[in-house]
Amino acid sequence: MRFGTRPGASSRVADTATRASRRRGNKRGGGEGVWYPRWFWPSFATPASLYLLVFFVLPLYVIVSIAFGTVDATFQSPRPIYQPWFWTSQYLTKVTRDAVGYQRGVYIRTFIYVFIASVLCVLIAYTVAYYVSRFGGKRKGLFLTLLIAPFFVSYLMRMLAWINLLQIEGYVNKILGWIPFVPHKVNWLGGYPWTVVLGLVYGYVPYMILPLYGFLDRIQQSLLEAGRDLGASPARTFMRVTLPLSRQAILAGIVIVTLPMFGDYYTNNLLSNSPKTQMVGNLLDNAVNNTGQGPLAAVLVLIIMIILLVPMAYYLRSTSNELKVST
Amino acid sequence: MAHPRERWTGKELDRRQFLARAAAAGVALPSLAAIMEACSNPREGTTSTSKDPAGDGGLWQPGWPYPLARQDKPVTWNIFPDNQPIASDLQPEKNATLEIYNWDQYIWPKIIGEFADKYNCEFKITTFNNMDEALAKMRTGQLSFDVFFPTIDVLGKLISSKLLQPLNQDYIPNLPANVWDTYQDPFYDAGWQYTVPYTIYTTGIGYRTDVISKDEIEAMSNPYDIFWDPKYKGQVGIYDDYREAISMTLLRHGITDLNTTDPATIQQAGQDLIDLLNATNVRTSINGAYVGIPKGQYQVHQAWSGDIAAAWFYVPQATMANYQTIGYWYPKDRVGAVNNDCLAIPANSKSPVLAHLFLNYMLDFKNAMNNFSWVGYQVPQKQADPQTLTTTKSVQGEPYIFPWLSEAVVQEEDFKTGFLELELEPSVDALWHEAWSQFQSG
Repeated sequence: MRFGTRPGASSRVADTATRASRRRGNKRGGGEGVWYPRWFWPSFATPASLYLLVFFVLPLYVIVSIAFGTVDATFQSPRPIYQPWFWTSQYLTKVTRDAVGYQRGVYIRTFIYVFIASVLCVLIAYTVAYYVSRFGGKRKGLFLTLLIAPFFVSYLMRMLAWINLLQIEGYVNKILGWIPFVPHKVNWLGGYPWTVVLGLVYGYVPYMILPLYGFLDRIQQSLLEAGRDLGASPARTFMRVTLPLSRQAILAGIVIVTLPMFGDYYTNNLLSNSPKTQMVGNLLDNAVNNTGQGPLAAVLVLIIMIILLVPMAYYLRSTSNELKVST
Repeated sequence: MAHPRERWTGKELDRRQFLARAAAAGVALPSLAAIMEACSNPREGTTSTSKDPAGDGGLWQPGWPYPLARQDKPVTWNIFPDNQPIASDLQPEKNATLEIYNWDQYIWPKIIGEFADKYNCEFKITTFNNMDEALAKMRTGQLSFDVFFPTIDVLGKLISSKLLQPLNQDYIPNLPANVWDTYQDPFYDAGWQYTVPYTIYTTGIGYRTDVISKDEIEAMSNPYDIFWDPKYKGQVGIYDDYREAISMTLLRHGITDLNTTDPATIQQAGQDLIDLLNATNVRTSINGAYVGIPKGQYQVHQAWSGDIAAAWFYVPQATMANYQTIGYWYPKDRVGAVNNDCLAIPANSKSPVLAHLFLNYMLDFKNAMNNFSWVGYQVPQKQADPQTLTTTKSVQGEPYIFPWLSEAVVQEEDFKTGFLELELEPSVDALWHEAWSQFQSG
């Protein structure tokens, strides 16, 4: 029954619907429920579809047109070509040749950084989310507010703050100086991979905690109690009940953090600046900032998109499978 | 090509710059008109059809839209019939707003304020982050500015596309009266028909004097080697600028053609940079000289003289001892990289008379020197004796350039002995970019 449970109301609605369908000669049966024209529910998708078309599909087409376009003779600025039959693949060829050539290291490095950073993100975020959802108790609201707090400060601001903290004479080294046997003249900003990876973790971990918390909080206490009642140790309950139930949440979190990490360039620019830690996002940033390399930047955008489609597709597939299982 | 004031390039992006950048991205989105135009004939405009160059002299080949100026091959730009200078003896525009289009922090707003009071006008400063962005916005024709700050390597583009207006020199008596002789007839704009000079600078080495003594660096047989010295590993920086970085490696090998077209030389320079990376894990930055050195983030960093002169503003605590930690090296024989920036008036300026008066105002000795004291970049004024710049106190209460940074003082002869990084033909430019890109990929 579509509307409410009051019998009177429902029959009135059903009456109207039957009358309406009779009048319009509609054959749709469906018993109770209101008749709507065929376009009614799909029309709800119009605003979102228009939004997608105007702010995603069209700009994407412009990027494709720049990637397969050319540059202005005088200004060397990109000139998009909108007719596919005029397209040239010279920039695509160059980018792919470089990608298997001297830029191969950059791509491999990007995958390694993103992998390590996401694993660390999962470890940190899972423990925090688990603690808040299981043991938050009365202070859950406070914890949630604290979890959301980082979103009030822009990512860029937080990174800029780290520059001051991580300087050789900065507070991080000062605090390390109080602990015996710990090096405290660390040149954190000297262009090291671990600074960049930790920067990525720091920057994106809040995005992982929230979805994990959302999922973990919904796991019914009774399931865990059942596990314990059936004789499983706490560790075993966790491994056999909690962890499998949160698989989807971990996947969602990983997708949420890896997508922006792959395109990230400013973490690197702010915390390292060394060519030895350049990621794919930096290649794009460099191309955008160099005269005459606009089309190369557009090709890199497309390449990064294709790379990102892989985890996205995996996530969609696995969630749709789980939906099938659960229904 | 990047530029001294291109101080962030994504390296240190504060919120204001981020917003400015986002706005720029919005403007850069192609307008409907551009889409329609591109639909009709996509290949038009991608190869130049010009048979006549936009100026005489310089390097030029058929097919190039404009000649490339070189120190020994000056260019006299054409004055086009449909782009004439304004008439003489006009009154400044009434109730006008002087629109200034400039790099961030590259002019002292106080000086513009005094100009506005004098000529009873308002003023507005709009900033850009790099030349490409500035050119892209000016080309839309939808923005009109009265004063623009071009680098000399984009003049061909601007003038051949009629984006700048020729100057009426009657309004600018201060140039013949005050400015160095070099700029009475500069090679990049013979007869200064479109531009007046703004600032001058050299590119040398900035260093921490508490780590490296002045005697130590001067005793080196080739001070450029200091970048490759593993002693300073993790503390070495070069500008995030392909021309400056590659030129430095060329100078290290005694190659003075900083606009070389030889693929082998460029390739070798790129290889040197990769060696540099392996030797000291060099980092690239735009603010490393004027922020990084005073704050101790770098012990050695490639440096523009203007960045070093202004670096004392950035020491953690304003003490003389801290100022003295900043050092600058430039070749004793003054054979190194030099450059200068210009002021010009866009063709679609709404207040061209005020704009001419402003150019003249900025070439006045007092105004020019006050501006120098604030931006750190020296001005080519005849009365500014290079010998006394390190002893004369500016309006900021300190010498224009501290005595221990005397190498950062630019002299007129530097433009005879030094070498400029100038515009390259696109296919050569691509070679330079390729070498830089290989270095940047680590």
